[in-house]
Amino acid sequence: MTATRATLAGLAGLAALVALALSVGAQGFGWGDGGAWALLRAPRVLAALAAGLALGVGGAAQQGVFRNPLADPGLTGVFGGALFGIAVLLGVAPETAWRHAWLLPVAAFSGALATSALLVVCGRGGSSARLLLTGLGLNAFTAAGTLVIASRSGESRELLTNGAYGDWLGMATLELTWMPILLCLAATLLLLTKARSLDLLAFGDDAARGFGTDVAGVRRDAVLLTALAAAAATCLVGQVAFIGLLAPHLARAIVGPRHAGVLPCSALLGAALLLAADTLGRGLWPQAPLSAAAVTAVIGAPLFIWIARGRHE
Amino acid sequence: MSEPFLECAAMAVELRGRRIIDGVSLRAETGQVVAIVGPNGAGKTTLLRALAGLIASTGEVRVAGEDPRQASAQANARRRAYGAQQPASAWDYRVSDLGEIIGAPDAYADQLGSLDLSELASRRLSQLSGGEQKAAHLAMTFASLDEPYGALLLLDEPTASLDLARQTLVAATLRRFAQAGGTVIVATHDLTFARTCDAVLVLAEGRAIGLGVPSAALTPAVIAETWGASAQAEA
Repeated sequence: MTATRATLAGLAGLAALVALALSVGAQGFGWGDGGAWALLRAPRVLAALAAGLALGVGGAAQQGVFRNPLADPGLTGVFGGALFGIAVLLGVAPETAWRHAWLLPVAAFSGALATSALLVVCGRGGSSARLLLTGLGLNAFTAAGTLVIASRSGESRELLTNGAYGDWLGMATLELTWMPILLCLAATLLLLTKARSLDLLAFGDDAARGFGTDVAGVRRDAVLLTALAAAAATCLVGQVAFIGLLAPHLARAIVGPRHAGVLPCSALLGAALLLAADTLGRGLWPQAPLSAAAVTAVIGAPLFIWIARGRHE
Repeated sequence: MSEPFLECAAMAVELRGRRIIDGVSLRAETGQVVAIVGPNGAGKTTLLRALAGLIASTGEVRVAGEDPRQASAQANARRRAYGAQQPASAWDYRVSDLGEIIGAPDAYADQLGSLDLSELASRRLSQLSGGEQKAAHLAMTFASLDEPYGALLLLDEPTASLDLARQTLVAATLRRFAQAGGTVIVATHDLTFARTCDAVLVLAEGRAIGLGVPSAALTPAVIAETWGASAQAEA
């Protein structure tokens, strides 16, 4: 299937999914009077779509940069870093944070960038084990840090705990989400321009440089933009693993490994997967919805093990 | 003597505090195929990477009168191509994808043809043998240059792991490239191939211990000193 046809098919599927997502909720199944229910659900659906786009494309970009199909910002500690950034801000200056809502994405970006930098320095070299072990350490550290701050700050405790469970979509309102949504879209669009460089990077640093790629520049840009995507998505959903792993994997199966196809396809699949997970979590248990992160983990974890088993080091 | 296309003098490379290349000088003229030979660990790959401007080095290096270490990756890529010893791709591209990735699908298709790989163009890299994969990557390297004239090919073991037929095709391609006004530097273990080159640099422990036309550089004494007495009998 060509990239264009796959993209069109994906868009059609996504539109159907959006319609379904708008019709599912705690008030029951349907659009409500004059679409009133759908209107209430729209910010949540928009947030899931934008975060999913960023997660999908961010996962594909991180896999490209590390030349590793097991890389996923959710597993390599970048989301953990973003949430930890938010936790530090809420722990240190909660009132300022809520007075200036733009500080939340900034804090998330700082945290994501710090973990990304550590990941690049400590986890590089092409070995899955090294990358994932570094990510494991970063994830454990940031998760512990977030929980420590949460347990010490009475007001933000519930908020941060929900964030750690990827359960923020439920409180999405347009006032809270417009900025992270725009950041998700910006990071996604900018990452889409890196397709050719990521293809060249697949042949190793020497070969890529030999073919005229500014390897350090591409890596820096991709890491920065992936951190931005992860930070913005975290502001919308909290911590979600496996979307960044699942989406590029499925995208490669559909459109082949060229990044010109993988990046947009992975973005669309990421949006579809996150929205489907959120809708499923709400639809199956309307009174006590399951978080999107929990649903994606149920599907993603077995897939992760399957990919890891099939990968020969 | 005409102006050399590639020239390095007193070149030295240190990697992780160890001196890998120690004061090597080399010159290659337009139209020449030059072989760099030496035992494992002699520094052939490091010298090639330094000449390509891929790693830091000290000493003089000039390619077409310019220092590749001062030029951008893009500027370097226009006049020289580098082919790694064991090229590999992180993703399972189709053979035909490689031409599009370097932005030269037509030139790449021609090179696939000259290496007898056209029939494999629609296959995935993982469906190819090691030698076929190597040849596909070589085609990619050749096709990345707009034209041979005024360009430099730096290849690390281009014929290793290829079958005899494809070794001959690669050797012929290199010769055509040189005859069209290009310059070729090849690191190789294949002394038979080295003897067909215009010049040979013998490298041992990072130092040049022989340089000149094959008959002058690959003397029995140099071979014995470099590879040991048993190799001399083989050669």
